[in-house]
Amino acid sequence: MASSSSTDIARGVIEVLKNVSRRPIEPTLDSDLAADLGFDSLQILEIVAELEDRFDISISLNDVPAARTVSQVAALVSAAATT
Amino acid sequence: MGVACTVSDALAAAARSAHGYRFIGARGVECRKSYAEMYEGALRVAGSLTACGLRRGDLVAIIVGDPESFLVTFFGTAIAGLVPAALYPPTVTSDLPSYLDATSRVLRSCNARGVITSAALLPHIELLKAACPDLSAIVRFDALQGPSATMAGAPQPAEIAFVQFTSGSTATPKGVIVTQRNLAANVSAFAAGLGGSASDVAVSWLPLYHDMGLVGMALGALYVGAEAVLLTPEAFVKRPVEWLRTISRHRGTISFAPNFAYDLAVRRVKDADLAGLDLSSWRVAGCGAEPIHAATLAAFADKFRASGFRATSFLPGYGLAEHVLAATLSPRGRELRVECLIADDLTVKRMATPASGSCAESVSVVACGRSLPDHHVEIVGDDGGALPERHIGEIVLTGPSVSPGYYNDVETTARTIRDGRLFTGDLGYLSSGDLFVCGRANDLIIVNGRKYHSQDLEWGLADLAGIRRGRVVAFGTTGGGPDRAVVVAEPSGTVPAGELADAIRRRIVDVCGLLVDEVVLVPSGTVARTTSGKVRRAATKMLYERGDFPAAATTGA
Repeated sequence: MASSSSTDIARGVIEVLKNVSRRPIEPTLDSDLAADLGFDSLQILEIVAELEDRFDISISLNDVPAARTVSQVAALVSAAATT
Repeated sequence: MGVACTVSDALAAAARSAHGYRFIGARGVECRKSYAEMYEGALRVAGSLTACGLRRGDLVAIIVGDPESFLVTFFGTAIAGLVPAALYPPTVTSDLPSYLDATSRVLRSCNARGVITSAALLPHIELLKAACPDLSAIVRFDALQGPSATMAGAPQPAEIAFVQFTSGSTATPKGVIVTQRNLAANVSAFAAGLGGSASDVAVSWLPLYHDMGLVGMALGALYVGAEAVLLTPEAFVKRPVEWLRTISRHRGTISFAPNFAYDLAVRRVKDADLAGLDLSSWRVAGCGAEPIHAATLAAFADKFRASGFRATSFLPGYGLAEHVLAATLSPRGRELRVECLIADDLTVKRMATPASGSCAESVSVVACGRSLPDHHVEIVGDDGGALPERHIGEIVLTGPSVSPGYYNDVETTARTIRDGRLFTGDLGYLSSGDLFVCGRANDLIIVNGRKYHSQDLEWGLADLAGIRRGRVVAFGTTGGGPDRAVVVAEPSGTVPAGELADAIRRRIVDVCGLLVDEVVLVPSGTVARTTSGKVRRAATKMLYERGDFPAAATTGA
């Protein structure tokens, strides 16, 4: 999926976040995963697994802690998709 | 069943068999280490630790996430006669400064002499030295390469096997002392209860800094000489199906997990993943460490029946670190025993009255089985006297698994363990030989298997602008589903309601990494006024659960 544009990726990330969340959320690019959207560490790993499946990529868990906002997660996905 | 008296004896005995641990790493790469290889590695670790100047009886914290490295290190400390304490490594969402702050408090509370950790964490732990004056050795686990120690001066049964920190409490860390005798007594009793033998295959993803993972799976397998297959907690949480695939692939016979894990598997394992899954070898599906919900286990049995899972494999139990691990276990091969109780009688009369007919106003409670051989469970009323069957009171345990107390904490020990009787703080009742756990101390919140103390949350909010002083209560609640953390507060009116709820959530995430499920803002005078946190929480929680709060702002579902 290296051809995904950055808006496609952001849209996909937001869709995954909405699916994983157990309550209605409206993520924006600046939303913080924990503080704004209410994800705990279990859900963050679920999000990682869903993103890997959706974009057919592999995300290193070492990179996950630094990705705190939606746009940072999208950046992680694009980096993984182009390598 | 006779088991070894000490951890190092158990390792030496298991090393004579062909069995061992199989570690499943990233991307499913497997690495098998026989107990003999583990023993050799542990002797090298022991020799290196002695060379670092650590002495018999010194407490050494192990902060290592990788299961293989953790276990070799743990066994090395055992051989060297040190007192190991496993601390949890940072998680993917940990805020490093808060994590280090909490770790520093734990290290200080137990006067840790050494820390064994990873290369990545080492420089951060080094910075804690100033705050932890007793800390003399901070070492990387992969630097502990020998020379090998000898087994001279092996630990005695009365000595400490390890210190188990009960997770979550950061303001007041509590390290439970587990002696070699406690450990051997508990392992032999629960292994007998499970019918465990060297021909079993244990499969576990549970963290090894938690008693269920360390004692229940890794040490349990070692003491009976069984094979154990270990995944990381991250691998399970990322893809719960990996747990089940591992059982299927390695013909696992015993695997324990808390309720939330069975729930996660039901919700997240996709139908497409069921193909080829064979769970027919799984004879003991242990469940404990947090409240057990009949509906969760029923949904799991339904979903995996076609994969060969049998509902009679479920083996609910009750236990706590102060009792090493298990206190009661259900008989093997029995159908789940579930009682439907009249909700009002539970809270008001403190009686477990079976509900008749429809279960609309009722509560389901899963039986947690009988006390282990040579151990005893009783239910005690407020006056300290034993209560008859079906009366709800505090669960009190006696027997050879009861810990002598908390490390470096005489006060908490005196409050909790009196004359060899362990006052668990959990509420339950007995009925025809089974223990039913129907609530726990109001000061514990258990979310996803991790324990948080109400008091830590309340202290964390003490200076938050917008809350009336002292008028805030935090507790855990369950409505038949997963546990939820609730904060009830009286606003002072200086901060808009929405902003205040947000600020409360953010503060609790900062304080202990917990995301509060619901913030309820109530009018002045609603939160009970008493100096006892226990009473205040119990009264407020009861109002909340009955839906008796006056209308005010509630945020979050």
